[in-house]
Amino acid sequence: MEPDHGGRMTRRRLLQAGVAVAASGTMACRKGAVQPARRAPVAIVRAASYRDDLLDRLLRGAAACGLEARGKRVLLKPNLVECERGGIIHTQAEVLAAAVELFERLEAAEVRIGEGPGHRRDALYLAEEAGYRTAIRNFEDRFTDLNRDDVARVAPFAGSGEIYLSRTALAADLVVSVARMKTHHWAGVTLGMKNLFGVVPGALYGWPKNHLHQVGIGRAVAELYRIFPRSFAIVDGIVGMEGNGPVQGRPRSCGVLLMGADLAAVDATACRIMGINPDQIEYLQFAAGRGRVADWRIEQRGETIASVRTPFALIPEFQHVRLG
Amino acid sequence: MAPCAQSRLAAIAAAQNTDGGWGYFPGKESWLEPTACALLALAEAPEARAAVEKGSRLLRSWELAAGGWRACTRVGEVHWATSLVVTLHSAMGIYEGSTRRGVDWLLSTRGVETRAVARLAHWLSPRTVEFDPAFTGWPWQAGTSSWVEPTAHALMALRSVAGRGEHAGLKDRVASAQAMLLERRCRDGGWNYGNRRVLGADLPSQPETTALALMALDGHPEIRWGEMLDRVARLWCETESPLARAWLAACLLQYRGERPEPGEAGPASDLLVTAVEAIQWNRIMAAA
Repeated sequence: MEPDHGGRMTRRRLLQAGVAVAASGTMACRKGAVQPARRAPVAIVRAASYRDDLLDRLLRGAAACGLEARGKRVLLKPNLVECERGGIIHTQAEVLAAAVELFERLEAAEVRIGEGPGHRRDALYLAEEAGYRTAIRNFEDRFTDLNRDDVARVAPFAGSGEIYLSRTALAADLVVSVARMKTHHWAGVTLGMKNLFGVVPGALYGWPKNHLHQVGIGRAVAELYRIFPRSFAIVDGIVGMEGNGPVQGRPRSCGVLLMGADLAAVDATACRIMGINPDQIEYLQFAAGRGRVADWRIEQRGETIASVRTPFALIPEFQHVRLG
Repeated sequence: MAPCAQSRLAAIAAAQNTDGGWGYFPGKESWLEPTACALLALAEAPEARAAVEKGSRLLRSWELAAGGWRACTRVGEVHWATSLVVTLHSAMGIYEGSTRRGVDWLLSTRGVETRAVARLAHWLSPRTVEFDPAFTGWPWQAGTSSWVEPTAHALMALRSVAGRGEHAGLKDRVASAQAMLLERRCRDGGWNYGNRRVLGADLPSQPETTALALMALDGHPEIRWGEMLDRVARLWCETESPLARAWLAACLLQYRGERPEPGEAGPASDLLVTAVEAIQWNRIMAAA
């Protein structure tokens, strides 16, 4: 079931992926579903600035949560919803570059980068503005614009519907969401899981991907997480965004990197660090049947939440999600 | 023809897929938008006749019985780039059943913000996204809200067939959509994807959508055109986005009859950029 060369997916693999997704769809995410049994490890690693040895930090985090990537085709998915040179909207270039090195060190068969920006169409330009082209070796050879990629149908999506998704993303053995720790004016937060919106092709759903808003952001995020069970998250909280995120907020230094294979657990941990109650974040409620959100279901490794807690400012519409 | 235009036409012709269409990038599967744009660019080039015929055959196979054209071979639903095919038909002097059905599909499609439930939600919480639901444009996908870019393309398409006088309600839709664009203009004077103010915060405009909105507004009296076109020229110098520069140049070509040359760089690997740089928008819109 290996994909062929050139980032393409074989029909066999696609069929198998479709069957797996359809089967798992019968257990589609719903609020209040029973949580999986084992505790999920989430690594919390301190990193004071982007000048730190970020590869070292990521290697420590990877070891802490038992990340394996040998022989896998890895797709790194940064957040480039928009970009402002020198700003904090996007995933920091240094973090993405360190993630590329991490997976090369872990002997991944291939490390690609893919993103389908949510607001602007020129993904390569946004990558240039974000500094990716200079920070990452062979960036253009690695990069796929997921908005304008070949697509494959996935069903069900959000109940009875269907969705078309990037074939590059569906073909990956491991989709790694490399996100910045941010507040979000519709979802409350945008972290590892919300960042999966970027695998939905704008060529079909537009800029912004309004279809996902019609489905409901919380439900759509959880559904994407269901479709990509082979995923991993690296959340950059070295400098996050507070207030009116994900685009117009202010920088908030938090000095941490979070890592883990259970995106719900990673995001719930990030919420607690940000002073946000994850039980009040709708997409985490929808995803709770698939990942771990409750603190007793998560095993923090490295730093403790209390030692790095940094309350993020929230807009008035989201004051109710503040941890008591 | 300028050497740069020649090089772009050659690059487009060379990137044609065996099915007759074009992907967004060489080697990718064919999609409606780059195919329509590539054909708009090649339509006037005599040496590209065979490529145009092949591409047109693919488009015919993508026509849907209910009107409009599908997104690509894999996706059977009617796609927003139906607008571009209508414009292409007009540019090629084609006005046949498929064109009429495409126009009818456009006229029957509108953003969901005009629906009663959406209007009620907006009335209850007008600060969430500030806009006037009395005006509507076109969505990216049926069942979603209106946004600037699909509205701009639909307006250009309807303008290209308006002279036929065959479609009831066309003038009203054009007026409403132009009003929608004007109403969604950002405080800084340009346009972004379609939200000018959210949760009490002004959002900034973006160069590519500013260019597209101006192209669609077609000399509208509420725009100070001299000032805006000077701004477009400045944005073209300032922005480094090839796609934004291509649309800004297209806007200048439409209204001033010439576009700034894109410089020494060869055609982009992004076929949409290459096509937008090569389309003779001034002739297409003048013919309309």
